[in-house]
Amino acid sequence: MAAAVKDINLDPTFADIDRSVRAILNPPGIAYWLWIAFLVALTLLGAGLWTNQIYNGLQVTGLGDPVMWAVYITNFVFWVGIAHSGTLISAILYLFRTRWRTAVYRAAETMTIFAVATAGLFPVIHLGRPWFFYWLAPYPNERYLQPDFRSPLTWDFFAISTYLTISALFWFTGLVPDVANVREVATGWRKRMYTILALGWQGSDRQWRHFSMAYLLLAGLATPLVLSVHSVVSWDFAMAQLPGWHSTIFAPYFVAGAIFSGVALVLTLLIPMRWIMGIEDLITPWHLDNLAKVVLLTSLIISYSYAVESFVTWYSHDPIEQMTFHMRYFGPWGWMFWVMVACNCVIPLALFSPRIRTSPVPLFIVTIFVNIGMWFERFVIIAGSLATNFEPSQWRFWHPSFTEMGITVGAFAWFLLLFSLFARYMPVISMTELKEGIVWLKQALRQGYADAA
Amino acid sequence: MSEGLSRRSFIKLAATAGAAAAVPGCEPAARHLIPYVVPDENVIPGMPTFYASVCTECPAGCGIVARVREGRAIKLEGNPADPISDGSICARGQAGLQELYNPDRLSRPQRRGQGGAFTAASWDEAIKNFNDRLAAAAKAGKDRVAFISGPLGPTQTKIARLWLAAYGSGRMVTYERLADHAARAASKTCFGRDDLPFYRIDKADALISFGADFLSTWGSPVEYHRQYAQFRTPRERRGQLSLARATYVGPAMTMTAAKCDEWIAVSPGDEAAIALSVLSVLLKQGWVSSKSGVDVDALRKLTADFEVATVAQRTGVPADAITRMAESFGQSESAVALAGTDDPVLHNAVAILNAVTGNVGKTVIFADGGPEPVSSPQEIEALVKAMAGSEIDVLVVAGGNPVYSMPAGQKFNEALAKVGFVVWMGTVPDETAAAAHLQLPTDHPLETWHDTHPRAGVRGLGQPVMQRVYDTKPLGDLLLASARAGGAKTEQAPWEGQADAVNATWQELGAKAGGKFDDFWEKARRDGGYFEEVRPAAVSLDSKVFGATAPAERPASPLTLVAAPHIFFYDGRGANKPWLQEIPEPLAQVVWDSWVQIHPNTARGLGVSPNGIVELTTAAGSIAASALFSEHIRPGVVAVPTGQGHTAYGRYANGKGANVLSVLPGWERAVAVKARPTGDVRKLVTVLYGDSQMERGIVQTISIDDLAKGIVPPSDEPKPPQPYEFYAPFEYPKHKWGMTVDANACTGCSACVAACYAENNLNVVGKDYVDRGRVMSWIRVERYFPPKDKADEAPLMQVAPMLCQQCDRAPCEPVCPVFASAHTNEGLNQQIYNRCVGTRYCNNNCPYKVRRFNWSLPEWDEPLHLQLNPDVAVRGAGVMEKCSFCIQRITHAEITALIEKRPVRDGEIQPACVQACPSKAMTFGDENDPQSAMMQRRVKNKVRRYLVLEEINVGPNVTYLRDIYQTKGKA
Repeated sequence: MAAAVKDINLDPTFADIDRSVRAILNPPGIAYWLWIAFLVALTLLGAGLWTNQIYNGLQVTGLGDPVMWAVYITNFVFWVGIAHSGTLISAILYLFRTRWRTAVYRAAETMTIFAVATAGLFPVIHLGRPWFFYWLAPYPNERYLQPDFRSPLTWDFFAISTYLTISALFWFTGLVPDVANVREVATGWRKRMYTILALGWQGSDRQWRHFSMAYLLLAGLATPLVLSVHSVVSWDFAMAQLPGWHSTIFAPYFVAGAIFSGVALVLTLLIPMRWIMGIEDLITPWHLDNLAKVVLLTSLIISYSYAVESFVTWYSHDPIEQMTFHMRYFGPWGWMFWVMVACNCVIPLALFSPRIRTSPVPLFIVTIFVNIGMWFERFVIIAGSLATNFEPSQWRFWHPSFTEMGITVGAFAWFLLLFSLFARYMPVISMTELKEGIVWLKQALRQGYADAA
Repeated sequence: MSEGLSRRSFIKLAATAGAAAAVPGCEPAARHLIPYVVPDENVIPGMPTFYASVCTECPAGCGIVARVREGRAIKLEGNPADPISDGSICARGQAGLQELYNPDRLSRPQRRGQGGAFTAASWDEAIKNFNDRLAAAAKAGKDRVAFISGPLGPTQTKIARLWLAAYGSGRMVTYERLADHAARAASKTCFGRDDLPFYRIDKADALISFGADFLSTWGSPVEYHRQYAQFRTPRERRGQLSLARATYVGPAMTMTAAKCDEWIAVSPGDEAAIALSVLSVLLKQGWVSSKSGVDVDALRKLTADFEVATVAQRTGVPADAITRMAESFGQSESAVALAGTDDPVLHNAVAILNAVTGNVGKTVIFADGGPEPVSSPQEIEALVKAMAGSEIDVLVVAGGNPVYSMPAGQKFNEALAKVGFVVWMGTVPDETAAAAHLQLPTDHPLETWHDTHPRAGVRGLGQPVMQRVYDTKPLGDLLLASARAGGAKTEQAPWEGQADAVNATWQELGAKAGGKFDDFWEKARRDGGYFEEVRPAAVSLDSKVFGATAPAERPASPLTLVAAPHIFFYDGRGANKPWLQEIPEPLAQVVWDSWVQIHPNTARGLGVSPNGIVELTTAAGSIAASALFSEHIRPGVVAVPTGQGHTAYGRYANGKGANVLSVLPGWERAVAVKARPTGDVRKLVTVLYGDSQMERGIVQTISIDDLAKGIVPPSDEPKPPQPYEFYAPFEYPKHKWGMTVDANACTGCSACVAACYAENNLNVVGKDYVDRGRVMSWIRVERYFPPKDKADEAPLMQVAPMLCQQCDRAPCEPVCPVFASAHTNEGLNQQIYNRCVGTRYCNNNCPYKVRRFNWSLPEWDEPLHLQLNPDVAVRGAGVMEKCSFCIQRITHAEITALIEKRPVRDGEIQPACVQACPSKAMTFGDENDPQSAMMQRRVKNKVRRYLVLEEINVGPNVTYLRDIYQTKGKA
């Protein structure tokens, strides 16, 4: 790792870091507001289409028997998957004391929160009667009914809400010292906002002690969620007996896929962000390199999963399962499968090249492909398996509709809107941890075990 | 009530109670339907009343029972007392209610005003107008008034005659486009009789059908369904369990052909030659019955040119196929041959076949006292000629829709234009109504008294079952009043109205039957008619017929068009009923459209692609419809179903498909045609993905040999111990409802589907939504064809109904987060609409794909909503629904039993599908009662029973019985 250490910017002082991060929070220019206006417009489009869908019923979608879940649930799984990498980077890598996470974890964690917030919309959007979505929650009611705890959808409800709660707490806790930091220089309404959000942080010894303990505990709590949440989401499918869904490999397979797509999206967001915000000295090619390695590793894991899934199907001698997979490869939606293989298994192999891992533009392109590939993966599994079910007479392939596409676009816009607002109004890079990292590195270099980095 | 009361007798009793309640129904019409201001003591709100009546949707004349709730007919069921329907009715019969409540029904008289548009008129104005024109016509001379109608039944026919006489005319035509005119002619030539025989297929051991699609539209389909199911029940013959052999000869594989052992594809018109070659085999083998007293030498001479080898060579039909069917026919104790084409030679040949084998009187029965025949083509042509010659001043059309269905060569439209005044009387205005000067709305048969006479020994009686939906009048009332205005004397028309006239007709019948008339009348109303056993008339074959039985040389045509009667639309009258449009035609599985059935080889030669629009041009014009590629039609033949292509028959019928009847120059249904792809494509919408069941054992089959040996197919071998159950099994302390479905009896006729639409308030979604997989039917017909390489060891078609299997370990239940899908202690998977939030997970996890989601808010065009069953909730948008085994009927029976302090009796509960099934393929009952008919059916058919997708271990409560086939190529 000696080469990598050289890339680390040891120059910035604490003041440099403060200056760089605070500079991001300066009032944005016209280009930013045009971007925000664009995103608001798309979000409103999605919201309008959803309103229309609530009013007219799900007839406005392209759904029908047997493909009763398609784009909405694909989006749900996709966004839940995205959410994973944030916690992975912020919590698990924190526990492992992985130093390169400091510069990127806040962005990743923010992405998690907003991805969960986006994902959480879709189970409601896809309901036939969305105004009763709260019936999935256990609460005392006049119907004397609690949700059925046998249903994976109930598990989902708990998994997602738990995940959102823990991630939000974890994220917010980490923010407190940094918000207090920017509070010091802010003026006007921003000052008031940061003052409230800083929760009276003074940076006293006692506060730091409590902060470190709370942060460690929350990291500990969040860690199992990284594995559990997407496992639970995968059981929405694995617990059903539909050929193509009913598989024990789903939990690890989905978790790997989630990390794969999540880290890829972190890169997709960071690369333009570091360029736009001028923080290339904080988020360096070294960081990109490390994230790209995670993408490469998870890409290999899911390629293996695809292979195992197909092998087990062949080995099972179950003709119905085999037919589902045959249709997955060569049916009317076969092209989606091959898009998925190209994007998830073939293109990421380019990341074996260190040059590509450290060059922002090629890396950005690869991650875009990964995002596309992972969306298709979910669609192929969810809708494709439904289309080729047990009853050959009832097979039918879904046709896209403007509503579903519009709401999908709206959801992307909604996510980017939240992220863009956050990036300009909150410290998107953890000053606290960056400073800790520099202290640690300097100490380490002095003591001569830099290779440990 | 005594122990052992079946549902059948229950209905009878209920109908008796209903008869008294029917009395207000025959009083003058109320202006509006008013719910009970003063409650009728015979009507208990919430309890159905049953009235027996007769179905008039086709000439078969099935007895029906109308279920009436709070003054509205909500369901038609078969009348168990009726010998034709025997408690079942077909899809078309079920849909009769959609004629009654059709939103396009004429609600008041309309007159054609200046500029051709119709304007509403009062009854007084309309009738005055009508009578004035009639008086003028009568003044102008004799026979200047004419009357065209469909078969009206004895009383209305009598009234129509009387009315015509009052205006000095005898021009009456009973027009039935798809009537078997050739068969009638053959009866005359062969047996010297004016009537049509009826058949006892159930008494036969072998059957050959030459184009008679009796499981679809030919003859009396409900009756023949029942008979055919009995015919196909394996029986001990010569000490061995065997299956009666059925062969179908025709250009396309019809529904009947698909349930036969063999379909012999011939060019249209070659059937007669095949029939004669069968005869030649019978002669050669000496199987011609000596009793028949037939002139064998003359017969030899007749068949000399029709040796099997010659015919095989000429028609391209394999010689061994002919020999096989001839052998099975000749060796059987009793057999029946049926002819359904319009070739007179074929009908003669078939009559000879039946006669010389001694089957006339056994399976082919002529009986005296049959109904009045429909008009022959010559009679109809004579009237059209008179019209064209301006000899008719007033024409009344009361059914038959001749503008739509008349052969193009008759130029009926032009003839109609020459008629001074055209009056249309009926329910839903059609193309003929659009060409009329005056439209008079008449009662639907369920609103009025009427009677039918479908065949000797069967007299149907229809009574009004409810108040009128609109301001309509009975046809008979209109004609009688008009006759009186025209000067008919009281002794000629002694009746107040149609009700009186029906009563008078039945007084005569009652006098013949003997006994007190009041008792007779009450029994007739309760039973829906008067039925007596008829003795077959002694008939003998007229040897002169041999001379008239030489197939004429046909001009060779490279391509022939066959107009195939559609099982639901028939001659076009069914097309305005949304259920019939939405339920897939059983063989093609296409909805809301017409199609051109074409062999891929033929299509390739013409450059036609699947779903590509084909323009068919005959001597009489051209039509266009999408191509349906099918291996089940002889190359060189294209078939188009009848009944679509309406231009003025209401919102459900207009603009759908093409009217093949409009391009038939004459009465023949097979004509030479030229075909050309237009280059356009219109997708045929089907609910079916493919023809193959991918060996998943959804419709399973067994050969008769294996069945005789009692070989239990591998999947029925003793099962390993049940796998570990994660959840404790449910307990069913009282009942556990289940069903047994015999795939051998099922023909795919879809009566069950229509019954379910009617009973459970299923919504019709339209063509586009069917295409998107949003059809709402809770029960569907799964229709598959065996793969080509396995065709020898399979029936021609694999068909069975698929409905919720009410699994013990239902996959839909544990996945629902809100308990909307739950298990009852009677073994049902119930769907609780109010709890459902619409995750649709249950459907994803349902292996049988029988759950239906409400993608939109269901809507019914008024007044179709009056048909809705008040016992079944109408579902809102966003909830899942599915088959409930007609839980409302189960609950009704259970509550009744509770009140009467007795257990629920076996057979007391019949879900709508079970009740409708004409071939009695389905039985419903309690699995906890091993003696129930349903369980006994399973026990008695141990070798045939199977569960669909048994390997996934969901524990379905619907047990199927395998379809039985004979290995191909074996006699």
